[in-house]
Amino acid sequence: MRKTLILCLFFHLSCFAQNRELLYNFTSIPQSSLVNPGADVSYKYYFGFPVLSGISANVGSSSFSAYDLFSKDGVDFNQKVRDVVNKSSRNDKVVTNQQLEIFSGGFRIGGRESRSYITFGLYQEFDFFMFVPKDLALLALDGNRNYIGKSFDLADLSMKAEVLSVFHVGFHKKVNDKFVYGGRAKIYSSGANATSTKNSGYIYTGKESGTPNLYNQVISSNLELKTSGLARFTKDEYEGNVVRDLANNTFFNGSLGLGVDAGITYYIKENLQFTASIVDLGFVRQSKDIETLTYKGTYRYNGANPDFLGSDDPENVFDEFDKAIPRDTLYNKYTTWRPTKFYSSIQYSFGEARPDDECNCHGKTDKYYKNAVGAQVFAMSAPRVPLFAITAFYRRNIFKKLDLKATYTLDTFSNKNIGLGLAGTLGSVNIYALVNNVLEYKDISKASSAAFQLGINFVFQDKE
Amino acid sequence: MKRNLIQRISMLLFAAVFFLSCSSDLDFDQVNDFKLEPVFVANLAYFDIPANKLEDDGSTNVYPDVRDFDIFKDKFFNERLKKAEFDFEIENNINRSFVINMLLLNAENQVLQTISFTVPSYNGTPNVIKYPTEVFENARLDLLKQTQKIGFVIIIAAGPPLNSESLGNLKLRSSATAYLEIE
Repeated sequence: MRKTLILCLFFHLSCFAQNRELLYNFTSIPQSSLVNPGADVSYKYYFGFPVLSGISANVGSSSFSAYDLFSKDGVDFNQKVRDVVNKSSRNDKVVTNQQLEIFSGGFRIGGRESRSYITFGLYQEFDFFMFVPKDLALLALDGNRNYIGKSFDLADLSMKAEVLSVFHVGFHKKVNDKFVYGGRAKIYSSGANATSTKNSGYIYTGKESGTPNLYNQVISSNLELKTSGLARFTKDEYEGNVVRDLANNTFFNGSLGLGVDAGITYYIKENLQFTASIVDLGFVRQSKDIETLTYKGTYRYNGANPDFLGSDDPENVFDEFDKAIPRDTLYNKYTTWRPTKFYSSIQYSFGEARPDDECNCHGKTDKYYKNAVGAQVFAMSAPRVPLFAITAFYRRNIFKKLDLKATYTLDTFSNKNIGLGLAGTLGSVNIYALVNNVLEYKDISKASSAAFQLGINFVFQDKE
Repeated sequence: MKRNLIQRISMLLFAAVFFLSCSSDLDFDQVNDFKLEPVFVANLAYFDIPANKLEDDGSTNVYPDVRDFDIFKDKFFNERLKKAEFDFEIENNINRSFVINMLLLNAENQVLQTISFTVPSYNGTPNVIKYPTEVFENARLDLLKQTQKIGFVIIIAAGPPLNSESLGNLKLRSSATAYLEIE
């Protein structure tokens, strides 16, 4: 047996939809256990270096790209905004996710023959999810003049955003050659949250015969914005440093929550493998600096209505509006659910090979497969309907310590998303690079989502 | 350290967005050209006066009414209003002719503008008149923006006397169209 020390120094700048289809089950990368705690990963121990931890970010939009808005094509910017709004639907979404790992590590427990592991770590995460508020965008762009009879749906307003830190401890065990299971407990500390996903109501201007007025104008509003950790920043007397205070809240004074990850790997046959995992099944009880704003009510606008009877009936549009649809501030705690991710894969391996370059500790792993093909599915909870993706992949072992993974993914954002990943070990350095949406790289600005991920792990191994 | 961390995040987020821009020739300064130009329509005023409420002796009479109209107190709206139009539709089923004056008044009840409509008397056939659109631009718009009250004065011209048995109505319906420019 050899003693292994893996020092993870990995840096990645990436833009990927929360689906990490390249990382999933790419077990030559230790970080793959973050998307499946039951991944068939083994080590003596490893840890991530505190200063040089991972950073990842993703920007995705299902209906438009940066190019659509910012290309230098001489078209008026306002026209481009209009075009983007017109081709978007209320179910198109804009998604951003960013992660920064503060530290992470893992070690094997039990004796040399044990295949049980403990992992731990702390990372910071930012999530933003918004549906394109199509009706409100139309109203802001065009006004209501050309939409007589249309009901502008206030339910189109649906977004949530959160900054939080996550401390996690996990366990995984390879029970036998056929079965690996793992789980992870997470403590969330949410520094800031804004949630406005349960809106309804409408803004309507109609022309109906039989009504005395020219228009029938109604605003029926049931809007609610819940915030936690943000109220203090909106006050006039606030004079602190927003970034510093937000970071402080996120790590030391956040609203707390709990969550779990779980996953399995099962070898149906030696060369037929099934995996499944669920990540971030959890909630945050938003309790710090909470403030909920509501606008609820119905207002009908009639204009000025003189009756020539000398009645003194003062009409004040703003007062009437405020009375009909008052702005209320509530201070109730609320619970938010984390975006829960589900992955599953089936993989068929072929092309048997034996390592001849060096001994690989466990006598059992003296045989391996050079190729694997398979399929993965991904789902993530989101307001209204979950996000889905399906991926076909091919994994090739080029050398003993160099693996390639290629993926083809169909999802909300793209139907021709090809990804390429490479993970290799050179001496004590383990390097991986994952690039998503490669077809779009010839002009990345036209991509509606993109992923780029690079990691360096320092691996120290002692031969027995 | 914490601050650096957040700075790094924002730097990297920015870099990520910037990274997207590196490929094609993108011009983010276009955001400065962004301008919303929505056009909103709204009810302006309406009334419906039955003839039997206009009891008179057959001579010329005047009926006034003044209402608060405080929309221009709203700074956001006031500053961004570039043009306004008023449309009027008057229906008269009373056997008398009228002149309806709409007065735009400031807070001190001074008349800023008067819009006048001549309404012919009812002679048995439908009598709905759509008046030409009143357009407010430039100096006229500036006067409109000072408006805080709307007054109506109905002048009933001489004709057959009206009493509580008289039939018919004088109806006015009107709308405002607001052209906004939001930068």
